[in-house]
Formats: sequence, C-alpha cells, structure tokens
Amino acid sequence: MNAGATKPASAAAPPRPAASVEDAPHIAGAAETAAGTGAGVPAGPTPTTPPAIDITGLTVRYGQVTALEAFDLQVARGETVALLGPSGSGKSTVLKAVAGFLRPTAGRVRLTGRDVTHEAPNKRGIGVVVQNYALFPHMRVADNVAFGLRARRVPRAETARRVAEALEMVGMAGYARRYPRELSGGQQQRVAIARALAIRPPVLLLDEPLSALDAALRADLLGELQRLRADLPDVAIMYVTHDQTEALALADRIAVMRDARLVDLDATDRLYRRPPSEFTAAFLGAANLIPAQVVRDCADGAGDAQARVGALTVPADPARAFRAGETAMLVARPHTLGIEAAGADGTLPATLTGSQWRGATYRLTCLLDEPSGVEVRCDVATMDGVPALGQPVGIRLPADPCVLVPTGTQR
Amino acid sequence: MLVWSRSGRAFVWALFALVFTPVVLGPLAMLVIAAFAGDWNGVLPSTWTTEHFRDATDGTNLDSVVVSIQTALLAAGIALVVGTWTAIAARNAPRPVRRIADAVLHLPVAVPSVVVGLGMLVAFSDGPLLLNGTKWIVIAAHAVLVVAFAYATVSAGLDRTDQAFADVAASLGASPLRVLFRVRLPMLLPSLSAAASLALALSMGEVGATIMVYPADWRTLPVSVFTLTDRGKVLLGSAVTLTLLLATLILLTVVGLLRGKVEDRRSH
Amino acid sequence: MTATATVAAPAPNPDPPSTAPKPGRPHAQKFVNSLWILPPLLLVGGFFLYPLALVVKQSFIAKDGTVGLGVWRETVDSPQFTDALWHTVKIAVLSTAGCLVLGFFLAVVLAFVPFPGARLVSRLVDTILAFPSFLIALAFTFLYGTAGVVNAMADELGAGQPLVGFLYSPWCVIFAEVTFYTPFVMRPLLAAFALVPRDRLQVAASLGAGPWRVVTRILLPEAVPALAAGGSLTLLLTLNEFGIVLFIGAKDVTTLPMLVHAKGAVTFDYPGACVVAVVEVALSLALYGLYRFVFSRTGAARAGVVA
Repeated sequence: MNAGATKPASAAAPPRPAASVEDAPHIAGAAETAAGTGAGVPAGPTPTTPPAIDITGLTVRYGQVTALEAFDLQVARGETVALLGPSGSGKSTVLKAVAGFLRPTAGRVRLTGRDVTHEAPNKRGIGVVVQNYALFPHMRVADNVAFGLRARRVPRAETARRVAEALEMVGMAGYARRYPRELSGGQQQRVAIARALAIRPPVLLLDEPLSALDAALRADLLGELQRLRADLPDVAIMYVTHDQTEALALADRIAVMRDARLVDLDATDRLYRRPPSEFTAAFLGAANLIPAQVVRDCADGAGDAQARVGALTVPADPARAFRAGETAMLVARPHTLGIEAAGADGTLPATLTGSQWRGATYRLTCLLDEPSGVEVRCDVATMDGVPALGQPVGIRLPADPCVLVPTGTQR
Repeated sequence: MLVWSRSGRAFVWALFALVFTPVVLGPLAMLVIAAFAGDWNGVLPSTWTTEHFRDATDGTNLDSVVVSIQTALLAAGIALVVGTWTAIAARNAPRPVRRIADAVLHLPVAVPSVVVGLGMLVAFSDGPLLLNGTKWIVIAAHAVLVVAFAYATVSAGLDRTDQAFADVAASLGASPLRVLFRVRLPMLLPSLSAAASLALALSMGEVGATIMVYPADWRTLPVSVFTLTDRGKVLLGSAVTLTLLLATLILLTVVGLLRGKVEDRRSH
Repeated sequence: MTATATVAAPAPNPDPPSTAPKPGRPHAQKFVNSLWILPPLLLVGGFFLYPLALVVKQSFIAKDGTVGLGVWRETVDSPQFTDALWHTVKIAVLSTAGCLVLGFFLAVVLAFVPFPGARLVSRLVDTILAFPSFLIALAFTFLYGTAGVVNAMADELGAGQPLVGFLYSPWCVIFAEVTFYTPFVMRPLLAAFALVPRDRLQVAASLGAGPWRVVTRILLPEAVPALAAGGSLTLLLTLNEFGIVLFIGAKDVTTLPMLVHAKGAVTFDYPGACVVAVVEVALSLALYGLYRFVFSRTGAARAGVVA
C-alpha cells in the first residue's frame, strides 16, 4: 500500500525547517501541529482552554515489567492523534490509563483540565471502541447503543432519538432490531462506534478498531471513520494502531511508540516526509535505510548537506545537526527508487536478488555492492528494462534530497 | 475491572470474607479442631490430644479404612471400564442407540443413592445372584452410583479429541486394536485420570446406598463415622472423617502420579 | 477388548487399509459396531435398571403377598409421607435458591474483583466438590449445636444461647446444604465468566455503568445458562440428599430419602420403602428431564451467541 497516496495533497504542508526543535527527540507541540497541518482541523487550543486530553509523566509498571515509562501527550479538542507502534510498545497501555481501566504507577491524566487519574471509568464520560467490538451479545443493536444513555438515566424519548441519530451516523439505521451475532464484523464495529458516540463524549478512544476485520472491510470502515471525523469537529480522538496506513489516513499527529516509550511525535505528513529517527522511518512507510557518511558539518535541515554512499556523493536533508565523517542513514522510500542498467551514471551498483509481483507494482529486492550486505527494496511499475535475477543493476536515488537520520536511534 | 474504587473493592472483599468464612472455612476448620480436641466446653477446646487420631487408625476403624479403599478402587475400576467402553462404543453406534446409551448411563445421577441401595436389596436378596450379605453388594452399588460420572467425563473428553487422529492412524495401516491402545486411549488419558479421581472421591464418601446394604463385615468409613456420631462419639467421628479425607487425598495423589508418570515417559 | 477395538475403527473408510474387511460391508459393519455397546449396557441394565424395575414391582405387592394399590394407599395417606414430601421439596427449593444467590456473588467476586489468593480459594472450592456431604453436617454440630462454638461464644459475650434447637430445625439442614452445594453452582459460573471478554466490562464502564449496573445488565444475562445448569443440578442433588439429613439427625426433619432408609433398612418394610422410592425417583426424573431439556436448549442458545 502506498502510504503517501492516502493523505490528500492539500493537507501536506511543505517541510518547514523547525528551528525551535531541540536535538534528538522530535516532538512538536499541539498548537504548532494544528497550524502546520491546516486542512479540516480547527484552530489549536488557546491558552484559556486546556487540552481535551493532557497526559503527563504517565508510568505503568507491573512488578518488574514496565509497560509505559514517563509518557507525555496533549490532544487538543477536535484533534486526532494516532499512537503507532509494534505490539508491546505500550500504546494500548496509554489508552487504558486514559479510559481508567488501569491505575497508573505515576503520572497524571487530565480531561479538559480536570484531573481524572484516580477516577473510575464510569465517571469519565469517554467513548471507547475496542478491537473485538465488545458488543453485549444478549442485547439488540438499539439496546447496545442505548446502554450508555440508560446508565445516565437520559429520558426515554431522548434516548430513542439519540440512538437513532447515532445509528444513522454510522449507516446502521436499518439494523436496530438485530442481535450482534446477526451482523458482520464490520457492521458490529459500526454499532460499537455508534454506542460510543451516543453518549456524546468529548473524547473518543479507538483501540485497534479495524484489526479484527478483513482487508476489504478495513478499507471500507477506514473511509467511514474519515467521514465521521469530519462530522465530529469538537471530539478529541486518540487512535491506537500498529497499522501505519490507518495512522496516515486519520491522524493529525502521530505518536510513534516503542518499548514502553514515546519515540517521536509530530504532524503526520512531516513525520512521514522527514522522519527524525531510524525507527520511525522504518516503521512509518517501511523506508529503506542506507548507511552513508556525512560529507561536511551541517545543521538540522541545512540545504547544502551532502552524504556519501559507496562511491556516490548525494545531496541530503539532515534531520538533525551532523559532523563531517559521521555515519548516518539515508531514508529512501521504495517507490522513490528507480532501477537502471548496471553502471548507469549516478546510480548505486547492486545485484538484483528478488522480484515480487504485487499487482500495481513489482517489489524488487537488491543487495548493494557497497556498503555490502545492505538490502534495498524498490517498487517499480514495470519490469521492462529490468535485468534478470542475479544480474547487476544500478539503483537511482530520488531527485529530492533524502532525509538523513542518525543511526541506531534506540531511545 | 468491575469495581473501580479502592473503597468499593475493600467493601466487596469484606463481604466476601464475611460470607466465605462461616460458610466454607468455618466448617472445615471445625472438623480439624474437633479431631484433635481433648476437652471441649468453651469456644475452643481447652486441651488437645492425638488420642482420637490413634483410635481412628486402629482396630475396627483401621478395618474400615481398608474396606473403604478396596471398595473405592474396585468400584471406580469397574465404573471406569464400563463408562469408557460405553463412551467409545457409543461413538460408532447408530444415532438412536447412542441416545439410549447416553440416557441410561446418565440416569444414575438422577436416582437417589438410597433408592439404588433399596433396589440392590430387592433384587439381590434371593434368586440366582445372591449378593446381599456379601461385600459385592456394596461394590456393585458404588459402581452403579459412579459409573455415570465416569461416563460423562470420558464422553466429554472424547468430544474434545479430534476424530482425525484415529482416522489418520487407521489410514497409516494401524489395526483397530492398535488405534485404540496407541492413539485413542493415550489421548484420553487426562479424561481417564479425571474420571478415576472423581469416581474414587465419590465412592470414598458414599453413605446413602452403603448404609442400606452393608453387611456387618464390610463397613466403610462413612458408615463408621455415622455409627460413632450416632453413639455421641463426635470427636472420634471427626478424627475418622479426617482420616477419610486423608485416605481420599492419598488415592487421588496416586492417580495423579500415575498419570504424570505415563506422560513423562511419553515426553522422553 | 478386541470388541472395543473393532468399534474404534472409523466406519466410513473409503480407502480401507489392508486389514479392513472386503467391500459391501458398510451396513453389516455398522451393525457389528453397534453390538459392542451391548455388554456395558447389559451390565448397567442388570445392576441398575433391573433393580429399579423390581422396586416399582415390589411397591404393588404387600407384605402378605396381595397384589394391588393397598401399599400405595396406605403409605401415601400417612402424615409421615406427606410431611417428608413437603420437607424434601421445601429444603431442596430453598437450598437451591440460597446456592444460586451465594454462588453468583462468590463467583462474581472471584472472577471480576480478584484478590491475592483468589485462585487458592477457587481451588479450595473445587476440592469441596470431592468431599462427602455428611462432613458439613458433622462440622455443623460443632458450630451450631447446643454446646457448639457459636453458642459458647454468645455465652461468653453474655448473650445467652441464641441457637438452641437450631441444629435440629429444617433451617440448619438448608444452611448445611447451601454450604455444601454452593460450589456446584460456582463451578459452571466460573467457567462461564472465564469466557466473558474483559473489554466488554471495560466498555460498559466507560459508557457510564456502575458496578451494580454491569452486574445486573451484563453479567447476569451472560450467566443465565450457567445458573440454569448449576441450579437444576443442585435442585436434583438436594432433592436426593441423604448424608446431611442423616448426620444432623433432626427428628422433625424427615425427607423422602430418609423415609426410604427408615422403612427399608430399619423397619424392613420393603413395599412401603419401594412406594416412597418410586415417588422420589419420579420426582427426580421429572426434574432431570427438565434439566436435560433446559441445558440442551440454553446450550444451543449459547452456541448461537458464540457463533
């Protein structure tokens, strides 16, 4: 899946040199983001309105095991933040602590300024949608959606109206009398979303909501979620996922997590275009990481930076300041690379080792001659002119300078 | 995940303790205390003794221990063979036969133990098969009472094991006999050992049918306990009951060890 | 044992191994297969069904050999019998109700409000299932007897003896049966609760439902099949309970099984015992039929929920 294509071009702001951002962890503030991404996002919080979700120093330990370490995140009203990371990275732990399902070892959770760290989940008024829908099997769809309203003792007529409204929003109006077991997975998840929305929560938490669905349904419901996002201009959404496609499609900002820690946090398009770390570059968009030498001292975002890969010297876009001779990683997305005949001018010499037809494109794998042993993945539209397997090829780097990230960004 | 506040949880746990202690823990503790009590006139015994315990494992009471263990082993053995046989045979029988077998084998659960004992008395007090007055009437009654549990346990185990294993074994050329002993029964081992444990425990504690049919020379432990308490020797009765529990525990441990041994050998 | 072995062979075997019989056998083979179920069935029939049938027959033959409804009329008309029947049903119904309430509460706490040691408690509950029921009755004599611990404690606190006669009342039998049979309700409940996804409760809480609402609106409906199964089994077992009533030995509390024992093993009135036994068995079988019916139906509904 071509991740870049899922984000509308209008939303993509040009990479700005972020002068204020200090060295390693590239973490942008909420206000900066809202301004940066523009499209469809309401203005960021003014100093008088506290963020919808404010997490500070959140730490969760189970005995010796640390599930989450000193996690900070602010989500503004109307903003969508995706928590992206591999399983066990702590992203679901954040969500559970915000929802109140677990008691953090340290840290605070505030919802629009109100400290809820020790409040029971049934007092928080947060909408939660989980991977396996968690519909109540013995209740009809309408009763599932009405559950939260009845718990709040909303009058009957009002309940009926809001149930109908919520089901309408997710396109399930015709299924009110059904039981969950009579619905498909996608329909069940729609009902689960309607149930969470019926209580009109200021904060919506989605925990891998599409993971249990097959590919076609997932794409379908992802579109539905995008539409819902536009319909709910005031709701702050926290979206936990391990799938970068969902994060790129929905989020204003992405928080990349790894090993119980926040690795990078920035506006979606910027994080994709200028990943600040090796891990984020690889995890978000599965970029190739090609070891390179920095040619001369350069500042973060310096226009004249250059890097040497094998015998080739190419322009680069440094994600932080580098010293001359330092080893760094060039970030190159598979679809930006080209395959040419071996020895073509300005290409990296390599050997073609594999080819996989993926329908729209071919995924080629090549082993670089130098530095040797580095595997590079490359997506091409046609096999015309591509040498046979085992033959030498030349890899053409993109015309725009590749981002240069520090090696082994293991924080 | 249900009660979120600390105070709420504390309240629920206190309620749990309040209910659980007198209902479950209290009676069990009482029994142990009574078994070792010397003089008991206040809240707790004023003196302690192991005398009851010595009595409980001596003379006629020791005889009862042996009788109980023999009865349990024989009855559980018979029940296990009959129950397993029926469970496996029922799989391949036509549907109506299977349903009849299922109903008949489950039926003893629904019949009071005293009635089973009464039936034994009525049926085997004369005629060709005279069991009344022998130990066999006790063993037969026990076997009838526990066979339903053995059958149900093995049957449930069969439901969980995949028929495909037996099919694959047969397709590899294994004779039916080999399939039974090398594939089916070994895979049923957990159910068989569970069934054996259940049958042993139930037989050791059986009192209803036994008290109807037991001959003077074949008195099981529960009957001994009843005779003792009926004569007012409640402290000794407690000690004998504790002996009964210990004997049961030892039997179940042996079953567990045997099972573990078989599984060990298999994993090597 | 060769018998069972043949049975073990999969009947539909399109490509038989070398040892299999020749083609054209499926019908004959199936018939032979079903024969192997006869030996165990004959055993159970001979030692269980046949005596049961004789009990029914005996109930129509008076001691002097006359055949008819005489024994029935005489037995059923006696106040002793009506008393026993009433006590049996009352004790069974109230004990079962107590077990359901108590078992549900204990199971909910063990499953959803676990405390350190909750697993140990679950194991202990499982162990009680293997105990003989009279053990509880014996323990009760020490706890609630006239010279029992509770009275002694009350005496020391200057409250007199509040429990005089409690041990020999139907309520004590009911209390004892609740104690002994609560684990029979808890076990299926704990098994059912283990299958309830935790996030279902979490989402319910996030929607604003407090613990009480979650228990009554989410957990209780989910527990209905398990409660039905455990409850009907308990009702059946309490109807048939003998050991507890025998050991408590309350003179005023006679149940049907006690009456069978008294007539059959103490006064050797076989025909009278047989009449009571037939009534008792009829009662149990009616309930057992209901149990199987309910269980298969809720079982099916449950499967529907899962599917």
